Amino acid sequence: MEIAYVLKRPVELQLRLQVQGFTVLLGESGVGKTSLLKAIAGLIPASGQPFAGLRAEKRPVGYLPQHFALFPHLRAWQNVAFPLAHLPGPARKQKALDYLEQMGIAELAERFPHQLSGGQQQRVALARALAREPQILLLDEPTSALDMATREEVLGGVLERLKSLGLPTLAATHDPWLAQRAHRVAVLTRRGLVQQGCAEEVFARPASLEVAQLVGFRNLWEGVVLRLEGDWVLLETPLGALLATRPSWVQAGQRVWLGLRSEEVFTLEGPQNRVSGRILQLRWQGLRLRGQLAVGEVVLDFLLPRSRQAQLGLVEGQRLEVALEPRFLHLMPAT
Amino acid sequence: MEDPVFWQTLRLTLGVSLVTTLILLLLGLPLGWVLAHKRFWGKRVLESVVLLPLTLPPTVLGFYLLLLLGQNGPLAQTFGFTWAFRFEGLVVGSVLFSLPFALNGYCEAFRGLNLDLIQTARTLGAGWRRIWLEVILPIAWPGLLSGTVLAFAHTLGEFGVVLMVGGSIPGKTQMVSIYIYDQVQALQFGRAAEASGVLLGVSLVLVYLVRTLEDVWRSRMS
Repeated sequence: MEIAYVLKRPVELQLRLQVQGFTVLLGESGVGKTSLLKAIAGLIPASGQPFAGLRAEKRPVGYLPQHFALFPHLRAWQNVAFPLAHLPGPARKQKALDYLEQMGIAELAERFPHQLSGGQQQRVALARALAREPQILLLDEPTSALDMATREEVLGGVLERLKSLGLPTLAATHDPWLAQRAHRVAVLTRRGLVQQGCAEEVFARPASLEVAQLVGFRNLWEGVVLRLEGDWVLLETPLGALLATRPSWVQAGQRVWLGLRSEEVFTLEGPQNRVSGRILQLRWQGLRLRGQLAVGEVVLDFLLPRSRQAQLGLVEGQRLEVALEPRFLHLMPAT
Repeated sequence: MEDPVFWQTLRLTLGVSLVTTLILLLLGLPLGWVLAHKRFWGKRVLESVVLLPLTLPPTVLGFYLLLLLGQNGPLAQTFGFTWAFRFEGLVVGSVLFSLPFALNGYCEAFRGLNLDLIQTARTLGAGWRRIWLEVILPIAWPGLLSGTVLAFAHTLGEFGVVLMVGGSIPGKTQMVSIYIYDQVQALQFGRAAEASGVLLGVSLVLVYLVRTLEDVWRSRMS
């Protein structure tokens, strides 16, 4: 489904967006993600396709605001039955129960929203949105009301169910974790939509520094192109001379940004791009070890699985040599 | 209690309060919604006008109403009717005087309502009628009822406005509070005490009801 919308208020926004399967609209707060979802749902004035000119109550859209907006005075099944007002009583309840079943929470049908956890509330709200039989599902910050530690468990199953339905879904978020689980990612900044494509593409090859920061690149340096060598390019960087894959746009002498994901600092220990430094800090993040390596003036951020740390036994203060795999060094035009 | 005038007075007072409360509901609910959730030019002026009776001396409000509704007033001259010294005049005065009390309650109830609920209800296919009947009223009713009961109680004890605009004609426009004043002037302390006792009892029950409703409302909002 293609979304082409123009908003004037509360933010000025004009964009054309492909929604295929589970699509994430990634951007910092204040760039207009929520406004776009509300505009598509018909809740704020905007022009564009699809659904142009229809009132909110006529649009075939399933909309989930950040805190799910379950009706507090209605039981779970009554919430789901709300959009089913056209059905007679018993059929209405049966249909509502079917939708709860589809979300795997039929046993919670008689509970009130305040008796449900955040994850359960989200499933009820999804069942209610699906009962509307929408052509598109709009989710506003679906991970924000969930506990960080359990969101994989809580949302993972929901995402699988949504993907199996094949319903186009647009989720607005600033959470790269959610974006990694998407089919498609579209990146929205104050300058508008700056990149869209499949998730792997956007995460591995962000089009600009801004996108790189949003998708979680922690190692970003400026560099100058020294030489082009076939499929490779040699760069002068604060870490010394480095070899990287050559993008089509790059020319000798050009200033560029250079990005490297923390988890790809150790990926291969090849003969190229070796840099050494002293470990400043090591800290466990869940089952992964995050560290900072001081290389001259530059601090290199890295992330190791615990199995690797079990082999290496790194400690703070020790010297360490790492290889920066040229294929994972990503170049972006200087801004 | 054997004074037949007292019972007439009490019936009139309850009648005025009931009609006033119904009008306040019809007028105050939409007005409360608009003041709680809409932004428009001149909103602060409108708020100031409807809240004015809170600070304006009741006799001043009553005086202007007397000019407006009286025999030589603009309404009499334009439309040919006089509402001063009549039931209708009492109701007009009471509505204006109790409006801020009702509105405060309504605005607070509406402000406490999460607008996401209403927007989501719209995306689920509900028109305004269903939204009012199935979302707004079922959630906000304790707050709305508490504002209504407070306005009713306030009208029961009204003195200054109804004295000015109604003129305290026994059996016709005399309200209980003015009856009590008249009995004291006539040194009929027994009758004044009985009438005061009735108002005290009714007021206490109503205020207790308001507090209970407020608690119910808060527990729903949390």
